[in-house]
Amino acid sequence: MPHEALLPVAITNYISLSLVIFAIGVAGVVLRRNPLIMLMSIELTWNAANLLFLAFARAWMNNAGHIFAFLVITVAAAEAAIGLAIVVVVFRAREHVDVDEVALLKG
Amino acid sequence: MIAFYILAFVLVASAVFVITARKPVYSVVGLLVHFAALAIVYFTLAAEFLAVIQIIVYSGAILMLFLFVIALLSSGVAPFSAGPNRLPNIGVPALAGVVVILGFLIYGVAHVPPARVHVFAASASSSMTGPVGAADVFGSVADFGKALFTTDLLPFEITAFILMVAVVGVILLAGESAPYVQSRRRARIVEREMREAILRAGEE
Amino acid sequence: MGVPGQYPILFVVWLLPLAGAVLCWAFGPRLKRSAGVLGSAAVGASFIAALVAWGLGTQASGSQTGAQQPLFSWLQGFDFGLLLDPLSLIWVFIIVGVGFLIHVYSVGYMWNDAAIARFFAYMNFFVFAMLTLVLSDNFAGLLIGWGLVGLASYFLIGFWFFKPSAVAAARKAFVMNVVGDVGIMFAIFIMIAKAGSVRFADVFANPHALDPWLFWTCVFLFIGAVAKSAQLPLHSWLPDAMEGPTPVSALIHAATMVTAGVYLVARCAPLWTASHDAQTLVGSVGCLTALAGALLGVAQWDIKRILAYSTMSQIGYMIMGVGVGSFSAGVAHFFTHAFFKACLFLGAGIVIHELADEQDIRRMGGMRKRAPVAFWAMGAAVLAIIGFPGFSGYFSKDQVIYGALEHGYVWMWAVALLTAAITAYYMLRLFIVTFWGDYRGEMNPAELGIEGTSSPSAEPDAHHDRAPAWIMAVPVAILGFFAFAAGYVMIGPASPWARFFERSFPRQMLPPATPSEGVTTILAVLMLLVGAAVALRRYATREALANAPARLKRESETLPAILVRLYYWDDLIDVLFVQPSQKLGRFFGQWVDPHFVDGVVREIVLTNRFLGTLVRSFQTGLLRAYALIVVFGAACFAVYYAVEGVLR
Repeated sequence: MPHEALLPVAITNYISLSLVIFAIGVAGVVLRRNPLIMLMSIELTWNAANLLFLAFARAWMNNAGHIFAFLVITVAAAEAAIGLAIVVVVFRAREHVDVDEVALLKG
Repeated sequence: MIAFYILAFVLVASAVFVITARKPVYSVVGLLVHFAALAIVYFTLAAEFLAVIQIIVYSGAILMLFLFVIALLSSGVAPFSAGPNRLPNIGVPALAGVVVILGFLIYGVAHVPPARVHVFAASASSSMTGPVGAADVFGSVADFGKALFTTDLLPFEITAFILMVAVVGVILLAGESAPYVQSRRRARIVEREMREAILRAGEE
Repeated sequence: MGVPGQYPILFVVWLLPLAGAVLCWAFGPRLKRSAGVLGSAAVGASFIAALVAWGLGTQASGSQTGAQQPLFSWLQGFDFGLLLDPLSLIWVFIIVGVGFLIHVYSVGYMWNDAAIARFFAYMNFFVFAMLTLVLSDNFAGLLIGWGLVGLASYFLIGFWFFKPSAVAAARKAFVMNVVGDVGIMFAIFIMIAKAGSVRFADVFANPHALDPWLFWTCVFLFIGAVAKSAQLPLHSWLPDAMEGPTPVSALIHAATMVTAGVYLVARCAPLWTASHDAQTLVGSVGCLTALAGALLGVAQWDIKRILAYSTMSQIGYMIMGVGVGSFSAGVAHFFTHAFFKACLFLGAGIVIHELADEQDIRRMGGMRKRAPVAFWAMGAAVLAIIGFPGFSGYFSKDQVIYGALEHGYVWMWAVALLTAAITAYYMLRLFIVTFWGDYRGEMNPAELGIEGTSSPSAEPDAHHDRAPAWIMAVPVAILGFFAFAAGYVMIGPASPWARFFERSFPRQMLPPATPSEGVTTILAVLMLLVGAAVALRRYATREALANAPARLKRESETLPAILVRLYYWDDLIDVLFVQPSQKLGRFFGQWVDPHFVDGVVREIVLTNRFLGTLVRSFQTGLLRAYALIVVFGAACFAVYYAVEGVLR
């Protein structure tokens, strides 16, 4: 790793951190029934990926990581907006916000 | 270096708080803390511009959006969840599996021989370090802007497009009195009136 | 065997009846009674064509006699063709000649039947099938004709298909005939295996090519003959076949189809002369059948059944004749029998018609005044069948009986003579009880010894519209004449008959047997007179005629059970074959089918349902469950790449 010395700690620490945050985010998606919490957990995963991008950008002195992280933030924003719109529409008609009750795909 | 570990702890703790908080508002606050810590980490990674973007866009815009929706949905007196938990109970084995896999991945990552890593071309005109705010330093606004508007113009345009799509989508989805909805409502009324007229004609 | 060549006239003879059948069948509803004219015309035209072909049938060139028309080649060794030689010519004449007379008669007999067109279609089809049988120049074609004839017989026996008894009889006849078909098939298998061909010419050229199965080939062929000709042990279908209309009984079950067995044995003369054991077998079966049939005829009261058993018995004579090696004699008896038996059946048909379908002779009597043509014609035929000197049967039967002696079978000679006596007895019994005395039809059936009410057979339209009398009378009269006169072509060693057959059946130089032919003739006449005397004494004396009802009643009650129950033969077949097959069928239908066949289907359904349920269980509609599955998949990928990286 050419410029790893530029990082405060070894790159593997950043990778591990990113993995852990990602796993926590995924756990949040699977375990919680409130769609809002699920969306927030997805935001966690986005951020874990961002962290990884930026760490490697610094380690390799490559701007592409920054650009991509920028892209990720934008898309995350868009996705959050649309996700929330869906939540609003779907749960407008009902009295509750429980993802388990919206099982119309049940076959 | 110690900063990293403190920040790492904060990040993980706040993430866990986000997913386990009982009320969504608490989760939002936890997420706010998480984003702040992440911004500081970005600073340590010489990505100043993105650190600021993180705070402005993520914590400033997206989290506010979440708060608004929470407020909208809890305007009624309804509870936030109803009905039983329908997911099969795989808690302990799943946790064990997650721990194992994570451990394995981290171990694997830690032991990758350095020679295997492929390095892409470094960015051109940036020096390695410099004071915060200085131009042409890696991670500075100038450096980032130069790349964004020249080399990586396409991603920039694409982000603009994505945002537009998002706006249109939100309006279509959640907008009230959408013309389609109104016309359906009107069609239903007309249909009902026709049916009643036929029944009346039949009775005569 | 015949002179090969192209003979269009053969096609005319063979196919005209088929055309008649197709036309009657296709245009039946429109033709109605004219179908009878059409059918008779078809057969009549075929007869004329056969006359034209006489010369072809007797032409001789080198070692070949007759005309052989190749048709087509199917497989190796299966070359189909037509053969017209003296033997098949005789059969053709009887089939289309007597057949024509019977067709004309049928127009009258079936005058009021609604399905008259179907009848003539079937009759013409039968004639075509029988012609196929006798005109084939190979065993495969013969077998085809054999099967078609069986089919035609099934159609015609079961013609009045609304009668359950007729349907059962048709089925019985067909099933028993199939046994014979299988026998012929096995013989064909042996021929193909050993001789490589089924053509007569090839097989007869070297009978010993079939060794070591020559005897068995003959046996298998004979099984076919036994089934078709109603010999012991496959005889029980013939009496039941009397359920069909009387013309059917006359044509098929007297004159032609049942003689197919005789034709087969005569045709395969080279095979039989090469296997002495086979000859003994055939002769014995024929002889025993002759005796058995005659004894059964003694105990019957249904006029058609008596005639059926007499047919069985007379064919026994023919089989005995061709079996022991007197081919010319056996065929001669076939020739004369065709005339007098057809005459007997048609005459009986007139009587039955006259009495509104009454068939029990106990309820007849005095018919000589009411059906004079039948009386005179049947009289001639009866004299012929019992072998009265001067009538045709006398000449042919004598040849057969003496032939047995000539070839060294003394016991057969004795049994045949005994049978002649019995034949005289029961035929005269039939004749006297039916035609003499006073009419008994209006008496109470119980007084005559008839059990149950004898209801007339259900012919649907009775007596609306009678046919002109001559339609039925003329054919019977013609047949009666031939019953008398047909034998005159056979007198003496240089007779037209002998010369006709000299190339087909060369006269064998056998030492004169003892007793001599003259003695045999005298003995035969003596036996005839004995039988006749007994019959006359029992039925024809003044006293017997006066007390006819009482005597008939007593006889009905005292007949030996074994004869009345037809030697319990039908019961035996029922126990041995019918019931086991029914049990087997029930086993398959009620146990195997639901458990195995349906079970397989059921298992497939259940498996499908199970798999479907299994797969469906994934479609929970739960967002979180789907997310979990995605995560699981991603984890697998990650692990895989990590492992790959670590290992490298």
